Amino acid sequence: MSLADESGPAVAAAIPRARAWVERVGSIRSVAFAVVLGIVVLALPALVSTFWLQIATSVAIYSIVALGLALLIGRVGLISLNQIALLAVGGWIALRLGFGTSLPYPLLLLATGVITGVIGTLIGLPALRLSGLYLALITLMAAAAITLALQATNFPNGGSGFLGYSGTAAGSVAASLRRPALLESNTAFYLGVVGVTALMFLLAALHVWGKAGRAWAAIRQSQPAAIAAGVNVTLYKLWAFALASFMTGIAGGLLASSAGGLTTYGFPTQDSITLLAVVLMGGIYSFWGPIVAALLLKLLPELLKNWGLPPDLLTILFGIGVLQVMLTAPAGLVVQVPRDFANLGRMVARRFSGAAEQAE
Amino acid sequence: MPDLRPYLVLGLALGGVFALSGVGMVVLYRATGVLNLAYGAVGAIGALIAWSLINTLLLPEWVAYLVAILFGGVVTLVYGTLFGPPLAQREPLVKAVGTLGFALILLGTMSWVWSYQAHSLILPTTQVGFQMGQVRVNLTQMIGLGLGIAITAATAAFLRFTRLGVAMRSLANHRETTAMLGVPVRRVEAAAWLTSGLLSGATGLLLSTLVGLDIVGLTFLVIAALSAALIGRLQSLWATMVAGLAIGVVQACLTPFDAISPYRTMTPFLFAIAALLWFGIAGRGLSRA
Repeated sequence: MSLADESGPAVAAAIPRARAWVERVGSIRSVAFAVVLGIVVLALPALVSTFWLQIATSVAIYSIVALGLALLIGRVGLISLNQIALLAVGGWIALRLGFGTSLPYPLLLLATGVITGVIGTLIGLPALRLSGLYLALITLMAAAAITLALQATNFPNGGSGFLGYSGTAAGSVAASLRRPALLESNTAFYLGVVGVTALMFLLAALHVWGKAGRAWAAIRQSQPAAIAAGVNVTLYKLWAFALASFMTGIAGGLLASSAGGLTTYGFPTQDSITLLAVVLMGGIYSFWGPIVAALLLKLLPELLKNWGLPPDLLTILFGIGVLQVMLTAPAGLVVQVPRDFANLGRMVARRFSGAAEQAE
Repeated sequence: MPDLRPYLVLGLALGGVFALSGVGMVVLYRATGVLNLAYGAVGAIGALIAWSLINTLLLPEWVAYLVAILFGGVVTLVYGTLFGPPLAQREPLVKAVGTLGFALILLGTMSWVWSYQAHSLILPTTQVGFQMGQVRVNLTQMIGLGLGIAITAATAAFLRFTRLGVAMRSLANHRETTAMLGVPVRRVEAAAWLTSGLLSGATGLLLSTLVGLDIVGLTFLVIAALSAALIGRLQSLWATMVAGLAIGVVQACLTPFDAISPYRTMTPFLFAIAALLWFGIAGRGLSRA
């Protein structure tokens, strides 16, 4: 979403560096897409109503969560099924810190990310040394456990004690995190969220293009070979896990300050599975994938509601999508759809040229 | 110290059903390498179909229950036939994720057709019961525990002594070699899918009586069974059964303690974590995973 924002000044400043950057990204077309997306994203507040702006905000927040999961699956081959539960954990920590301390907002977000990163890593730790299947199972159980624990503890709303929940205040005080003065209005908050999202994508990109990315690629292709080449496999797997959890925690903090605050019923276990589905459908190897995933997850249900269709259809569609990705399109929609369209285009062109030759 | 005996009865019944589903999952995993995460969803949709047959079509109850169990078997078999072979050569993680897709399809269908409102399904066996000391035990609870133990024993004997069972075990060891030795691989796998599906149908009915007929609740009760299966290392039927019973009993016996009662559903997770740590420390290999 934001790759172009960062590249803008770089292009103006140093053309050779920009050229290297463009080569890294893959093609001019991606950059063009990124620029267009950047313009649309920045112009959005002027174009749509408050409701759709809130949807756009949540799309941006969930694209961070999707990015974390996509990194895990695409780079290290690990599948985590507790990302939405971790998002709730991030929200809880942000609220607790928000009510308990007077940290400035950026520091609060950062602290939330770090603590969530530690918790997420601790959950994955026992399974990381075993196979991916065990990690998936343990995280699924963790998701269920966290969801249930959350319904027992509730989100902090300024009450006393470690849990910070007050039943008497529950009716009047929503579990919502104060926004900094600068981001008070909905438009400013949206732009702030987009900015943080951009930073997260940049962080991911720096990892993927740097030393960590090369280590991850080695692990993904062959773990024994990576060990033989001197890659510290456990460390880099843990690092990927910590990074994904960190991002999810930041997203949780942002979600806690978005309109309406947090409710304990907003993070069912099922959503962690749905997230996996949309991330797989969007595509795990490209940075576009998580954005597509967030659009599928947050924008599509609203559109369906708008058109009077039951959103349950989406759950079915996502299920079919997972099977389709597993069977035929491992790279996801972002790669598959353009390729399919290119194939279709070629087929149509061949048909027409064939018809033209016959006519002659 | 509160009187734990009623909770013990409840826990043994629940644990028996966890054991039953754990065994159903382990059998399928051993034969096909697929860990069916849609197990709970299949049971839930079966129970909902039974509910509809009884309450809207007014069919006799036993017909509805039979249909529910058969439906579980058939729908699982259909998934296995369609998606088992193309994914057979992939790693277990990919196969498990495929069943998550299946679970989402079932979940979407359920909430679309039946919506999330609460339904209730009480097996007639719940009305039959007897007094044991001061605790009343009903027949459904007896069936839950009994079926858990009986199915474990029967499956263990089946895998050990019948031709089909031996074929399943050899499939678990090496699919290609088994095929070369003339075992009809697809047919053996189909048998495993069907059996596992029938078990999930039965599980769904029992759980909807013991716990309640709730789409999400039933679908994710699979997590307790998963934990049991994981403690059995996706391999040992008896360890799975014992773990299932233990999880059920511990979870139920925590109910009267107010301070931890709301957190008791975390029991399967804690059991699984403890097991993984133990496996890690003991440094024992885990099979086929």
